[in-house]
Amino acid sequence: MIFSKKKIIIAYTIEKCPECNMQRKRKFAKDDVLFSESSKCPSCDVICMIEKIFGESFEQ
Amino acid sequence: MNDDSNPLMMLIWILPIILFVFYGQRIQLYVTSGEIKKAIKKLDAFREESRNELIDYIKKNTSFEIDSIKKIDRFLDYFTIMPVDMDPNGIVDKVQHTVRSREDYTREHIKILCPQLSDFELTKVQTLLELASSLQMIHKIVNHMFLTAKKQNNYPLILPLQMILPFVMEQAEAMREAIPAFESGQPVGDGIGPMVVGKMMLNCEKQILSFQTALAKTDFENRQLFLLKAEGPGSTVGRPADALEKIVSENTINAIIMVDAALKMEGEESASVAQGFGAAIGGIGTERFQIEAVATTKNIPVFSIVVKQSVKEAITLMTKEIADKADDTRLQVYEMIKENTKEGQSIVVIGVGNTVGVPQ
Repeated sequence: MIFSKKKIIIAYTIEKCPECNMQRKRKFAKDDVLFSESSKCPSCDVICMIEKIFGESFEQ
Repeated sequence: MNDDSNPLMMLIWILPIILFVFYGQRIQLYVTSGEIKKAIKKLDAFREESRNELIDYIKKNTSFEIDSIKKIDRFLDYFTIMPVDMDPNGIVDKVQHTVRSREDYTREHIKILCPQLSDFELTKVQTLLELASSLQMIHKIVNHMFLTAKKQNNYPLILPLQMILPFVMEQAEAMREAIPAFESGQPVGDGIGPMVVGKMMLNCEKQILSFQTALAKTDFENRQLFLLKAEGPGSTVGRPADALEKIVSENTINAIIMVDAALKMEGEESASVAQGFGAAIGGIGTERFQIEAVATTKNIPVFSIVVKQSVKEAITLMTKEIADKADDTRLQVYEMIKENTKEGQSIVVIGVGNTVGVPQ
């Protein structure tokens, strides 16, 4: 269809701190898998765990 | 002379009638052909795209030889002849043997083709190969049906194709969109079962109980839990039925709970969670048969929890709505255990589905 907008899907990773339960959303990076260790929590300095990986679609 | 008796007006009326009586079907054939041709062109593009993606992926991850392309093309054309079902006795074992032989053959030959690939990458290549092969087969069949109808100039022959084409295209588009998720090792909608059980398995000792299937034992409110899922984060569904058989042969099991993704009906909300009875497991049916046989022999009730989704959602990158239901589903599993079993009993919880991007 001429006027239909193209949909793009962007993958996101949700990191969760096991101490303060703070969740941080960032773009999916290569080698991210669920339940693996990720970056450090900025407030507790504890290694966060990847809680979710999902896609969100946007119209272009 | 009014219009009714005007020979020219009569001709204008009669000519189209004659035309439609004798050539109506042929005209319909031409109109329908145009739509189908567009769909076939799209399918051809999907086929080509999936093949190129597969070749590029292998090129990126291994040392690639020109001869490898020929081998990949040969794999894409591989077919499976299902066993004769005139005598249905023992058909499930035969189907299982045929399907597993094909899987083993593909896996071994990918290993030979790309010896540098890790087991994780190997499962991804195998899935990409299956997707490319399926898209090739869909294109071939649709094209064959169309050309046969065209060759015979037979309009009724093209009708079934016209009717099923929207469903075929939906499947084909879902397969095409599944490729990036499998390439990057991202969880797909079908992975909700392994995601729920995988989280329950965290911090437990794991063992590989059957081919590509992991087991963890844990306790929950004085009940023993046997947690089963395909071995992640590779792209595999494992062999949960074989693992269940082993567990049941060595332990007394009081309930089986299966967590899986299920196809939603039109109008149903995506990512809605439902509970029910019976073995929730898709595929060709052999795994379900095996699980039902074990449960029936040992008189074990089978409960299921499913997360509803569309075909496309099931094989493409997991949506936020589905991912958000993981915690709720896990709580429902614990609730189901408490409601249906007593203290001291043992329960097998199986996370069914493709475990790509979901370790344990």
